[in-house]
Amino acid sequence: MIRVQDLTKRYSGTPVLRDVSLEIAPGESVALWGPNGAGKTTIVLCMLGFLHFDGDVEVFGKDVRRCGKEIRASIGYVPQQPSFYDDLTVAETLGFSADLRSIETARAEEVLALVDLEEHRGKPVGALSGGLRQRLGLAVALLGDPPILLLDEPTSNLDAAARQATVNLLEELRGGDRMLIVTSHHLEEVSMLVDRVVVLDDGVVVDECAPAELGERLGLRSWLHVLLDPDDVPVATSALTASGFNAHLNGRGVLVDVAPEDKAKAVEVISGAGVTIRDLEVWR
Amino acid sequence: MTVAVARPQIEAGTVVTIARKELRDSVRNKWFWLYAIAFAGLAGVLTTLALPSARVAGYGAFGRSASSLVALVQLIVPLMGLTLGAQALAGQQERGTIRFLMSHPISRSEAFIGMYLGLAAALSAAIAAGFGSAGVITVMRGGAADAGSFARIAILSWILAAAMLGVGMLVSAFTSRSGVASGSALFVWLGLVFLGDLGVMGTALATDLPVGALFFSAVANPVEAFRLATLTSFEGSLDVLGPAGTYAVDSFGSALDALLISVLILWVIVPVTIAWYRFTRGKDL
Amino acid sequence: MRRTAVVLGAVFALTSLATAGAQSQPIDLQALVDAAPSGSVVTLVPGVYAGNVVIDKPLTIDGGGLAVVDAGGDGNGFEITAADVTLRGLTIRDTGDSLDRENAGVSGRSASRMVVEDCVFQNVLFGVFARQSPDAVIRNNVIGAKDLDLGRRGDGIRVWETSGAQIIGNTVDGGRDSVMWYSDNLIVDGNKFTNGRYGLHFMYSHDATITNNVLEGNSVGGFLMYSKNLTFTGNFIGGNSGPSGYGLGMKEVDGASVRDNQFVGNRIGVYFDYSPISYDVTNHFVANLVAYNEVGLMFLPNVERNAFTGNAFIENREQVGVSSGGEFTGNIWSVDGVGNHWDDFGGYDADGDGIGDIPYKLDDLYSVLIDTHPEMAFFADTPAARAVDMAAHLFPTLRPRPKVVDEAPLVDMPQISPRPSGATTIESTGLLGVSLALLAAAAAIVALSRSRIGGLR
Repeated sequence: MIRVQDLTKRYSGTPVLRDVSLEIAPGESVALWGPNGAGKTTIVLCMLGFLHFDGDVEVFGKDVRRCGKEIRASIGYVPQQPSFYDDLTVAETLGFSADLRSIETARAEEVLALVDLEEHRGKPVGALSGGLRQRLGLAVALLGDPPILLLDEPTSNLDAAARQATVNLLEELRGGDRMLIVTSHHLEEVSMLVDRVVVLDDGVVVDECAPAELGERLGLRSWLHVLLDPDDVPVATSALTASGFNAHLNGRGVLVDVAPEDKAKAVEVISGAGVTIRDLEVWR
Repeated sequence: MTVAVARPQIEAGTVVTIARKELRDSVRNKWFWLYAIAFAGLAGVLTTLALPSARVAGYGAFGRSASSLVALVQLIVPLMGLTLGAQALAGQQERGTIRFLMSHPISRSEAFIGMYLGLAAALSAAIAAGFGSAGVITVMRGGAADAGSFARIAILSWILAAAMLGVGMLVSAFTSRSGVASGSALFVWLGLVFLGDLGVMGTALATDLPVGALFFSAVANPVEAFRLATLTSFEGSLDVLGPAGTYAVDSFGSALDALLISVLILWVIVPVTIAWYRFTRGKDL
Repeated sequence: MRRTAVVLGAVFALTSLATAGAQSQPIDLQALVDAAPSGSVVTLVPGVYAGNVVIDKPLTIDGGGLAVVDAGGDGNGFEITAADVTLRGLTIRDTGDSLDRENAGVSGRSASRMVVEDCVFQNVLFGVFARQSPDAVIRNNVIGAKDLDLGRRGDGIRVWETSGAQIIGNTVDGGRDSVMWYSDNLIVDGNKFTNGRYGLHFMYSHDATITNNVLEGNSVGGFLMYSKNLTFTGNFIGGNSGPSGYGLGMKEVDGASVRDNQFVGNRIGVYFDYSPISYDVTNHFVANLVAYNEVGLMFLPNVERNAFTGNAFIENREQVGVSSGGEFTGNIWSVDGVGNHWDDFGGYDADGDGIGDIPYKLDDLYSVLIDTHPEMAFFADTPAARAVDMAAHLFPTLRPRPKVVDEAPLVDMPQISPRPSGATTIESTGLLGVSLALLAAAAAIVALSRSRIGGLR
């Protein structure tokens, strides 16, 4: 159980969080979602006891200000851009982390395999690419098999394939009593991984909802990419424009700007113009 | 899955792990080696320069090379301690590694004490190497010195280093930018090694400062307390320091040593305590 | 070397007293002396004899090194009131402690040619006190002192109106002074004066030779006052560092020749207090080593007519000081084109004649500051004081008028004569041990820093 009550944080007088309150139950996965500067990372840092703040943050009923050491024992934390001691090798970094958590070497080996870093174990961390560092960060977070995973933009430094692998791994780690807290501005990630989304803007919680509702609740628009036979593109475009859609040529198809609830209507307009739809995808 | 269990705020094992890591980092740091080699080298050169004549005189020879050695310690040891300490917290904060460290189930006190001890160990190595090589060179070139006085100067230098490290960490605890921390540390160094003494000298020349006031305003400076404490060991007395020295001897007699060493110890304890308080209670990471 | 003639008369063999010597009651030495004919030799068997012995006729008492004369804590060991008395091979101890009555181990009065040799003095107020006893010989004695406050102690050797005395090969430790009053033509050779107030003190005593002595660990090694034509040669003067702390002090001394001495590790190597006092006299300082003193030479202002040649000034905190920074000219720093060796000489010798091509100038700003403001001595040798000197060298306008200009500085260290035996040396084994231990500690810490972090390979 994590309870954040009236959390306010100021940096030299300027508030970056204002009266943020939220609760996360065991087994729940939550996304902190919002644009850059919304205060997502600040909440995470407060939960870890890195910052001084007004209000209360309790983890398993303990005040993070007084029991930071105990609380951090139950948190695995992956920062957005993990910083390590660049001189230490991958193996030394994990070993150091294991020492600080009083965890046996065998578990460190296990985690090294889990994030697929065994072949890099002898390299100094400073020589790792961003993606490998991210994986090492994950390995460090998973060492203690913690009941809380705190992930700050976990996929931001990764390419598409690595991102998918990470999302899959996190999907596996979800469940049971483990709490998963992710900050993100990628809606796909959020919708796949979490049960609930907390929307932040300018240091204030503006909304809370299920991930599926997020787009609607926010009135977010998507791009509908419709693949057509090349000959049909002009027809479809003019039909869409006539129906008030904003449509552009895009490769072998048409890109349509749609509100979430209008996706079906756009498809109907194209079909109504007698054009065969080859394929469809939604971009956010 | 592990669930939080109550652990004491300061555990020796954790502190040692952090200290060893910090020691390793410092010993790999090129600045550290630069200082250490400069110190050992200059100590060796000073001793060597003093020795050809020392063999002729064969008497009290180390007193003079010791006094050069003490001046060298006054210059280099505070510089080492201050810059190393200033980099400790601010540098880790600037690089972000402090968050990596503090994401572990450790208390800030453990992190602070571990860093302090690790850096102190690194400084100890540099000082021991400097004094050790100076001593060996002295003996190899046929010189001699009272082993007790020599050891005493080494130990006093070590205490001075511990104090300056604490002052450096105090500077570091009040900024998160390593450039600011280093700059401030250099300024503190300049103040303790030069400006403080020059200020007291100037005041004394301009205002006929009573010798007691001169003595106390000088001795409040840890670098001066260190120098005087070494003087009492190889000169046997502060009479050589003119009226202010005589004042000190007359006023404190045999308690003078205890006074000087107390000043040094206070300079170890007070800055480190304030730095610790600031780091554990007041600082955003 | 002159020896006092001993007229050998009947030799008293006191063997009958051999058993008595083992008893607790001291033997009545006065009775033996009274019984002995004038000019005879009294040979004592080992044992303890009562002190406060008065000898009023020529006599030799020989203790063979094993006889002890105990004054019982009162009065003198011996009082000699006649010429030609010799005391030899005695241990003389436990005199009274009255400075007023000048209690002494041997108190000579009008005892011409008295000889005290090979004696050991323990717990005595004065050791040997010779008054109006010309040609006395005080030789090869070991003289200790009473464990009193320094001011309440007596003098190890005190000579008063006793010209022609020879003080040779004695070891005097812990007394107040060893002092010569109104006595000319003294010979003071090969003695060791340690841990006293004034190791050796000359008052109005002219034409003496003071050679090969060790003056060590006293408040003042030697203080020569109001005496003329002293020759001071081959002495070692070290570690005299009390509050006054002069190696050698010279007050109103005319015609001194100070040669081949070593002044090492004193607070002030040589202190010049209006010496020479006469306008037509020059004092000469030749081939001395002045090293490791806080101040090598210290002058009162306006002291003139001292000539220095062939001396070596090494690693003195301040080479030459002028008390209270007054006027300081008129001393001679090179004689016939031969100056002195200064270890802080920054010049060169391009023509290789051993003489620096530019003069040596002592013009450190900080040492001038100390001369005028003695409290500045507190900061001597600090980085701040060195910075002041460095600033003065960079900016000539800050440079003071030089205290010393040696027009012919010696670039090489002159040959220094070996020091007299008996001076302290320090063992180096302890230093080596401590140094190696420090290096081992450094190596251990570096090794620790190189060990693996964490248990993962």
